[in-house]
Amino acid sequence: MSGFAQGLLDALLRDSRLITPQLFLMTVATLMLWPGDLFFNRNEKHKWAPITLLILAATAVLVMKTPDGEGFSRMFRMDGLTRGFELLCVLGSAGAVALSVKLLDSLKQQTVEYYALILFSLSGMLFLCGASDLISVYFSIELMAICIYVLVAYLRDRATSVEAGLKYFLLGAFSSAILVYGISLLYGAAGGVTTNLADLNQALALTPGTSNLLVYAGVLMVLVGMGFKVAAVPFHMWAPDAYEGAPTPITAFMATAPKAAALAAFLRVFGTGFHGVSSDWVQPLCYIAGASMILGNVAAVKQVSMKRLLAYSSIAHVGYMLLGILSGDPKAGAQAVWLYMLIYIVMNTGAFAVVIYLQGKGEGERIEDFRGLGKKRPVLAFAMMVFLLSLAGIPPLVGFFGKFYLFKLAIEQGYVTLTVLALLTSAVSAYYYLGVVSQMYFREPEGEAVPMGAASVFIISVASALVLVGTAFGPWLLDWAGRIFWV
Amino acid sequence: MFTANTTLMLVATFLPLLGALVLLLVPKEQRRVFEIGSLLVMIVALLISLPFWFGYDRASDAVQWFQAWTWIPSLGVKFAVGMDGISLLLWLLTAFIGPIAIACSFKSIEERHKEYYIWMLVLQTAMLGVFITQDMFLFYLFWEVMLVPMYFLIAIWGGPQKLYAAIKLFLYTLAGSVLMLVAILAIYFLQHKTTGGYDFSIASFQAMAPVIAQQTKTYQYLMALAFFIGFAIKVPMFPFHTWLPDAHVQAPTAGSVILAAILLKMGTYGFVRFLLPILPGATKDLMPWFIGLSLIGIIYGALVAMIQKDMKKLVAYSSVSHLGLCMLGLFALNPYGIKGGMFQMINHGISTSGLFLAVGIVYERRHTRMIADFGGLSKSMPVYATIFMIMTMSSIGLPLLNGFIGEGVILMGSFQAFPWAAVVATLGIILGAAYMLWMFQRVMFGPITAVNEKMEDLSLREVLYFAPLVLAAFWIGLYPKPLMDVMDAPVRKLVNQVNPGFYEAEALAAKQAAAAKLGMRGMAAPAHHEAAPAGHEGVEGHEASEAPAHEAPTHEAPGHGGGH
Repeated sequence: MSGFAQGLLDALLRDSRLITPQLFLMTVATLMLWPGDLFFNRNEKHKWAPITLLILAATAVLVMKTPDGEGFSRMFRMDGLTRGFELLCVLGSAGAVALSVKLLDSLKQQTVEYYALILFSLSGMLFLCGASDLISVYFSIELMAICIYVLVAYLRDRATSVEAGLKYFLLGAFSSAILVYGISLLYGAAGGVTTNLADLNQALALTPGTSNLLVYAGVLMVLVGMGFKVAAVPFHMWAPDAYEGAPTPITAFMATAPKAAALAAFLRVFGTGFHGVSSDWVQPLCYIAGASMILGNVAAVKQVSMKRLLAYSSIAHVGYMLLGILSGDPKAGAQAVWLYMLIYIVMNTGAFAVVIYLQGKGEGERIEDFRGLGKKRPVLAFAMMVFLLSLAGIPPLVGFFGKFYLFKLAIEQGYVTLTVLALLTSAVSAYYYLGVVSQMYFREPEGEAVPMGAASVFIISVASALVLVGTAFGPWLLDWAGRIFWV
Repeated sequence: MFTANTTLMLVATFLPLLGALVLLLVPKEQRRVFEIGSLLVMIVALLISLPFWFGYDRASDAVQWFQAWTWIPSLGVKFAVGMDGISLLLWLLTAFIGPIAIACSFKSIEERHKEYYIWMLVLQTAMLGVFITQDMFLFYLFWEVMLVPMYFLIAIWGGPQKLYAAIKLFLYTLAGSVLMLVAILAIYFLQHKTTGGYDFSIASFQAMAPVIAQQTKTYQYLMALAFFIGFAIKVPMFPFHTWLPDAHVQAPTAGSVILAAILLKMGTYGFVRFLLPILPGATKDLMPWFIGLSLIGIIYGALVAMIQKDMKKLVAYSSVSHLGLCMLGLFALNPYGIKGGMFQMINHGISTSGLFLAVGIVYERRHTRMIADFGGLSKSMPVYATIFMIMTMSSIGLPLLNGFIGEGVILMGSFQAFPWAAVVATLGIILGAAYMLWMFQRVMFGPITAVNEKMEDLSLREVLYFAPLVLAAFWIGLYPKPLMDVMDAPVRKLVNQVNPGFYEAEALAAKQAAAAKLGMRGMAAPAHHEAAPAGHEGVEGHEASEAPAHEAPTHEAPGHGGGH
């Protein structure tokens, strides 16, 4: 073997320990498809859900065990930020898997591919969290997104599901093209030598004045591409339709895990790579964040479908989290976004769990279907109320602490107008969240009181317990978030 | 008996919450358990809070029973509690109103008892918490937590328009308080820039006043406006008052009582505790506007109250007017004004709760609150009419009752600061007497209809929950000194913070007045005419130690005259 090949192999072996979780996921998911699929017959496919949960638990352990470092020609970087957001992705995926069991059972749509696709998508997210090169950012996004396109269109005999998948796919592909074009412009502007984020940051600072426009266009295009991925206004058009048409667990999945990964990439690309040219993107990002808060919250007011309401509210929440990316101090920004995302995943998964539970009972997902839930199913309604008030950021629920940490940072960084906007729009959000609460508690139910099945209560009680416990420990959570990264 | 200390204060504050948790376990059919249980909890909390009235050191202006536990070290948030005279009064008022609010609900709440009493108890803890906290973060938590129970109380047990009223209350207050949060954070970071540390304690915020005074005017005005809007919505002051009539009219009786007696006081308390001491400069610059809004509130509230056909709405608008008067007193920024404003908060809590309870009584019996539906009630309900009259008189400020003292002291204070404003405010008081007495006349006298003739007078339970209010109204009206004494030291401290040099100026003025008197005496004696200037100086120079003795009677005399 030649010296070069030997060196390459050594490097590969050395670096692959940085991506053990991803390798593990890909191997296991492939094995699940074959020969794993042969283990269970048609009626036993639901057993894949607990197995997937076990795999996810193992992945979380692997993520924790992975050492810090940089590898693959500095395309991938494992550090506090990566690890933190990887855990969020695993958490979000676990929530989605747990939510899927009942619904897929009732639709008779249990397949191993569903779970395998979630795992493949997750491996893309894990790559994205640590991507430290524009090229690796791009391919991780694609790996993550292509699996989700399929998942959105999973219920293939339903027109809405297929329409949602197609819409998402077309717009997703379009945004990827913009993203990759932006990357190529930046590559050219920086002298055609590097796409590594840290190097790019230095190279962009040294670019001659004549290529300013090139850099500006490149940065804006990357911003647009990333904006599509996190569904920020005005690149959000796909989100409500995709959210509504997708199977509900996948909606919950899309609102949490891929968003966490995309925000991690956002933080790294703009916090590290474009830090030096921040004058090019801060202003547009301010407008994007502000528009997301306004449109997300205002549009949610008029919704009749619970899923669409949560979709618009997730646009608004992304608007808040973009405040963290605007932070001039990338580390503090990452902490605030991470904490917010963690809390958001718990609240949002909980809210979706309630929607799914009701769907499973054939009660529909329109907001008016929640009428009188407080009388019919007191525990469920209470849990939903806790999630909604927490999403609205009403203290002392845990959502308030996430908002507090984020807005505190934004004011510290001088984005006062934007923070005032964020707070006022979150007061608007209280209006539609309370609208659901008032349906549950102040309207008379149509049917009789129904006792809850013990098994389905599990995730709802887990999530609402987390929200309530988070409430009790919210203040400490703030302290802890300050320490979790880069210790 | 217990002695007042921090632990006991926390027990009294969190006991209602604990009671709520226990009641959560009781099956919901046990209506009696919830009624009696929550009443007992409230009474015990009240009893526990009493030692603080006696244990309070009136000579000190420090925050007493202060204790702080580390909570979020990296942000400088502490679980800090303690009270000074100002918070003590409102804290006691809250504990005092609690049992009354529960006792008046036994009959009027006919469904979902479990939730009702649990929310009432949670609300009580949140309100008590606001007054004991000494940390901005904790304050904001309690301040917001209050909203949720209130929202449910109105939205479930309210009148026909309850959902609209509840969400309006919620959003209005939330919008105001998020602005306040921005201001809190802005000052917090300014403090970090100045001192290098992170600290959320109220004392450290107040200590920031001189630093804030050096910032640009725009910064100060924005801060002041953010606080102002947050608190003005809660008070509510004139352009921000529109949620109040809706909320009051739709809320169940106990909700109205709590809203009027305590929730509105949160706003005025916020002014006293935060806006005045933290941003004295900007407050003074914006004062003409604040005074203007207070005056508009006084007159407008009274005029609108005059034309109301619904008794509850009338009382609600009278609150706008009365709270305007409180604000006028606070904005005078002198001891009389602030004490009067604080005093009037307590009075308003007593008399307006009484009036809302009274309206609730006839509503329970007739299911209408329209003034036109009543008349001649004094014949069928003599006890009720008597109590209603006492509350009416207390509200319009009849001497011997509590309202008189408060209004008098406020007018003294505001006359000292802005004479013309005091004149306008007097007009509001006259209007107040007009609409209250007119309502009383239409409801209590005149021909009686057959339906009204059959109305039952107060039951024992109803008399029992009115009794403390009546007693308090007379006690405060006849002997206001203890209440004034409690506020003395903290108000002196506040005046020094917001209006530094006020006492020095006043002492100097008194001295000059005394000197002028001596001088005039000198002028009156023709033989000493030539020596008068020298003698004058001699008096000042030689008898410096005696000057206070001269000053005391001349200065105190008008105070006493106006006060009683």
